[in-house]
Formats: sequence, C-alpha cells, structure tokens
Amino acid sequence: MIWEVFRQEQRGKYHTHCGNVHAPDKEMALMFAQIQHGRRRPTHSLWVTPREEIGEVDAEETSFGGTTDKSYRWAMTFNTDEDFAAEIAASQREQEAAERERAERGDDAEGGGGNAEGGAEEGESA
Amino acid sequence: MDIGTVTERASPRQFGPKDDLPEEYRKAATRMIQFHANSEIMGAYLERPFIRQAPSLDRKLAFSAKVQDEIGHGQLLYRAAENLGVKTRGQMLDELANGEGKFLNCFHYPMTEWWETPMIGFFVDGAAMRRQATLKKTSWEPYAHAMDKICFEEGFHIKHGESILRELATGSRKEQELVQDAFEEWWPRILQFFGPTDDQSTHHDFASAVGLKTMGNDELRQAFLNAYLPKARKYGLEIPEYPRINEGEDGRYEVVEDDLDWDEFWQIAKNDYGPGRQQIDSRKAAREAVAWVRESMETPGSGPGSDTGDTPQAAD
Repeated sequence: MIWEVFRQEQRGKYHTHCGNVHAPDKEMALMFAQIQHGRRRPTHSLWVTPREEIGEVDAEETSFGGTTDKSYRWAMTFNTDEDFAAEIAASQREQEAAERERAERGDDAEGGGGNAEGGAEEGESA
Repeated sequence: MDIGTVTERASPRQFGPKDDLPEEYRKAATRMIQFHANSEIMGAYLERPFIRQAPSLDRKLAFSAKVQDEIGHGQLLYRAAENLGVKTRGQMLDELANGEGKFLNCFHYPMTEWWETPMIGFFVDGAAMRRQATLKKTSWEPYAHAMDKICFEEGFHIKHGESILRELATGSRKEQELVQDAFEEWWPRILQFFGPTDDQSTHHDFASAVGLKTMGNDELRQAFLNAYLPKARKYGLEIPEYPRINEGEDGRYEVVEDDLDWDEFWQIAKNDYGPGRQQIDSRKAAREAVAWVRESMETPGSGPGSDTGDTPQAAD
C-alpha cells in the first residue's frame, strides 16, 4: 500500500507534499515517513494519507481558471494605485507573482514544474 | 494546556487542531471567527444584487467574481472555526439564519443604489483588509491560513471598489452629488467598523492576551484613517462635520465618540436593528429556497421531481 507524505517544516507553516512510502498500515507509514522524509530536512509534523484516497484532476482534463478572459478578477486590471496601503500592495504583489508563474509555465503544464509552494496562496476561490 | 501556558506561548500561528486548548480559548476563537465568517456571507448577500444592477458588463463580471470570492471566504472561515471543536459549520449557518449569529455593523444597513457600492467595496472592505492583514499573525493557525488566501484575493476587491468610486467622483455633477450623499450616509457607520475604543471593548483583553488579535481597535482605526481619509479627499468627497475627527499634532486622528450613534450600534450588535433583521431574514429565505440543492447533493435521487413533484426554487 502506498501512502503520500506531507511535511510541515515549522509550526504554523503549511504541510506540503514531499513524497510517498510503502507501508502496510498508517502506523508503519508514519514510521517510514519519519525515516525517509523527516530526518534531514527541518520537520515539525508529517501527514500520511493512502494514495487511493487522493482525488486528482490535472491540466489534461481541465483548463484551470477557465478559458475566457478573467482579467476582471485581478487587482492589476484596476489602475488605481495600490501603494497607499501596505496590505493592498502586498495583495497585489502576490497576485502579480501568481500571474507571472502562470505565464512562465504557459500551456506547457506537463511535468508539473515541481510543487507550487510559495507558503500560502493558490489564487481563486472554488 | 491551561490559560497561563497559552498566554505564555501566544505568538503567530502557534496553536492548531492538535493542541489541547482550554475551553476559554476555543470559545473566544470561535466567537471571533464565526463573526468574521458570518460577515463574509452577509456582505456577499448585500452586494449580490449589483451583479444585475451594475451598469456595464465589466462591472457585472467583477461583481460576480467578488461575490463568489466572499462566499468562498465564508466557507474557509467556517472551516477554521469548526476546527476548534466548539460548533459545527451547520450550527453556525443555522445561527446566522435564525438571527443569533452576529456580523459586522455595516452589513446591517440596506444598500440599494449603485453609487453606494464603493462605500462597501472601497471603504468597508478597505477597513476589513486592514484588520485581516493583522490576522495573518493570529495564534490560531487555521485562521491565519485562511487569511493568507483571503488577503491574496482581497486586493482585487478594494481596487475594484476604488475604481467605481473614481468613476463616480470624476463623472457628472449629478454622480458627484450622489456619491457625496452616499458617503455622508455611510461614513459614521464606517467609523464604527472598528467598534468602540479599546477600553470599552468587552472581548479585547483576552483575545489579545492569547494572541488571537494582534492589534487593538484604536490602532486599526488610526491606520485605516491614515490611508483612507486622504483617499476620500482625493476624490473630492467632503468629510462631514459630524462626527468630528480631531487631528492631533502627532498626526493621530481622534474620532469624537460621542458624535456617533452608539445606541444604534449596540442595537445592531444584538441583531435588533430592523433593516438588519430584514437582511438576516432575506438570506434565510434564500437559503431555504435552495435547500433542495443541498439535499439532492447529500442524498442523490431525492431531488425535485423524484418524489415530491415540487417545482424547484431559485435563491431569488
């Protein structure tokens, strides 16, 4: 049985996928995960979950964010200044970074480009 | 963990669902996050009519995206609250429907005209964003994680709100007058957004001692006024004489609290304000109208037409 492993480096950070292990049950999976994924890298917590319990949809099957122009969803579209308040500027910087990453990856989504881990944000709501 | 330990350890993202937290902490966090989640939902209902009323396709699209975001924020926050083990999401949604659930003062007032929308979309959301940015450092980790995603999205909302304000403020004389009227009506409510001064705030001490809140009402109000008063002036909005706002030599603003209607504020806080009751009830009616959608998702085959023969209802 295969278990996917998620590591959290520090208290309060996100658990992010870091690999998987073979194990007959959860207890063993946790033990193997500690040995394989928690020994060198800083680790505060590990999650394991059976691979078959994970649902997946990828860029082959769907077009994430849709195919129509959704520029109205982005702060950059509105040309008022964002720097009058630090929190608005921060939000826009994050959105710009997300847009840049999307553009760089383009349609060549194959290979996944590693994990999309920036610590936090994924973009739009469901 | 006892309160002493919690207070000692209190720091950003310090506590999570695995920690054995005292009931007092869990209840305080639940109250705070439930209030926040309820406000997201009630705010979305207030803005929803403007998907139809918006004067252009661009504005309709942006409003629909925004309303969708806000409902999503409500869902994220109910999850963060649910993790505390005090209330389930279902309970919190029921409480909102039956008038027990509390939410932001500004969302108790009806908003019917297009020129009112920047009052929520720019000023109220701007105030909320100011507060939310500080909550990225709250001690309840699931709340902080929800804030990461909410703040990421919120920049669009506020800039959209400002864009509407600018359009109206630089539009026809008539539009300028209408937006000024809306501003005068909403401004006192916006000033009450951060509640009464800290010394009168009932829950402040505990929430800040355990790191749930990282900034007091007074400081947040200052920061808000520092950023948004100049904006109002920039768009030619005249700040009403009352409530008075005194600017100190140190550049700090002081709102004369006695100029604000605190009776109305506390009435709202108890969900006893008439127009607010109507908002609560109209959301309740929308929720009931689409109960069949939830039921048919949970029990496939039970949807309309399957046995009841009822005509399916839409939310509005």
